[in-house]
Amino acid sequence: MIEELAKNLVNLKQEFTKLYVGTSHIQEVIPIHKSEMFPIDENHLQLLHHFAKNNPIYYNFYEQKILDIPCIVYEGDINKYWLNSIQYGSSHAPFSPTWIMSAYVNVLLAKDFGFLEIIDIGSGDGRIAYCAKILNLESFSIEIDEMLVNLQKPLSNILNFNPYCSDAVQFDYSLLNLQKPAFFIGGLAQMGGIELATGVLEKISLILKNVGWVFAGTYSLKYNSDPKNNAGWGTFMDKYNLKHIQSILLPTVWAFHESDETPYIFTQTNE
Amino acid sequence: MTSLDDVSKMFHIEFAKLDKLFNSITPQSELSVHEIIELYYQIINMSSMITMLKQQIDSHNSKSLFDKILDTERIISENFNLNIHPQIMKKLINSIHDTTVNLQSSDPMQKSKDDVENEAKRYEELRQKMSTKEFVEQYDKGLSYD
Repeated sequence: MIEELAKNLVNLKQEFTKLYVGTSHIQEVIPIHKSEMFPIDENHLQLLHHFAKNNPIYYNFYEQKILDIPCIVYEGDINKYWLNSIQYGSSHAPFSPTWIMSAYVNVLLAKDFGFLEIIDIGSGDGRIAYCAKILNLESFSIEIDEMLVNLQKPLSNILNFNPYCSDAVQFDYSLLNLQKPAFFIGGLAQMGGIELATGVLEKISLILKNVGWVFAGTYSLKYNSDPKNNAGWGTFMDKYNLKHIQSILLPTVWAFHESDETPYIFTQTNE
Repeated sequence: MTSLDDVSKMFHIEFAKLDKLFNSITPQSELSVHEIIELYYQIINMSSMITMLKQQIDSHNSKSLFDKILDTERIISENFNLNIHPQIMKKLINSIHDTTVNLQSSDPMQKSKDDVENEAKRYEELRQKMSTKEFVEQYDKGLSYD
């Protein structure tokens, strides 16, 4: 069911890219109501819209039918966050979010695998941690960029997804009392993701054994491929003995103009 | 097989393109990203030809072409590497700094859709300048290995 939902979201995005005539820096869509293609709890959908409508990165929205599904198109701009983030020496990748709907599907899948907590590393505006709260999981959002954490604070008043302004590699995870967490690593392997994941994984391995790791990957020829594949994460997974659970393709802001969607690689520490 | 005449003709055509580019630049010139890329492309193109031809032609039997190659090498070194290239670097750095400060000081209060989208174009120009600066810096690193 989750795989089907992901495929439908990809189809919706691909149709949207054909229809979209705007000139906004970023854009994404969220269906308005539950439907056969998107059998999502109405309350959950409302909370997703609430996140977008209260998020200052979006400056415009309008209704549009895409594949006969009534949706709201959100248009936004993240340039000032990009400019701020590239001035941090220790920041690993400029802010560019996944789609809100993709965040939701990703967390649905993590929940389906039995993870109890979601830790969003390099969380940007906190959308993955927010979606975890919608799905009744405990969640924490770790972001180094103060401007982005300030963006998260009012959004966390809707659902408290526990934003922390901290370098994820330095953060003390023992404070969170984690039981069976899944860590979402922000950033492609080739865009500083490996360094970020290495720092966090080496810290976590000292305190926890049963951990999920979710990576955003790419098959784009713009980036160096990994000899062990897995969308750029194969060598890292081998090195840290991570077992591949599933890969899923989902739309993201950074791949909006690409024909290939973003692969998310779900892995688990191999006991 | 390419004759010496063909090689010589090609070299003169490429030099004429470079010369035209040089003549269009004054110390006051504000080159666009496209013009900067075109200029460096032609410099790299000529430098590669010079390296190849110096290995292949005989300085006695092809004196005229050889002299032209040496002269071009000197022009690239003196006119471009020591003069135009540092100016381009300096202007790019200043322009990136000014645009960054300008965008950071932009009033964050209520902006219209058009305001946001017009500002996004300036961010895109900034990204292009930053990429161009990286490219120009790569050329500069190459010079320090010569």
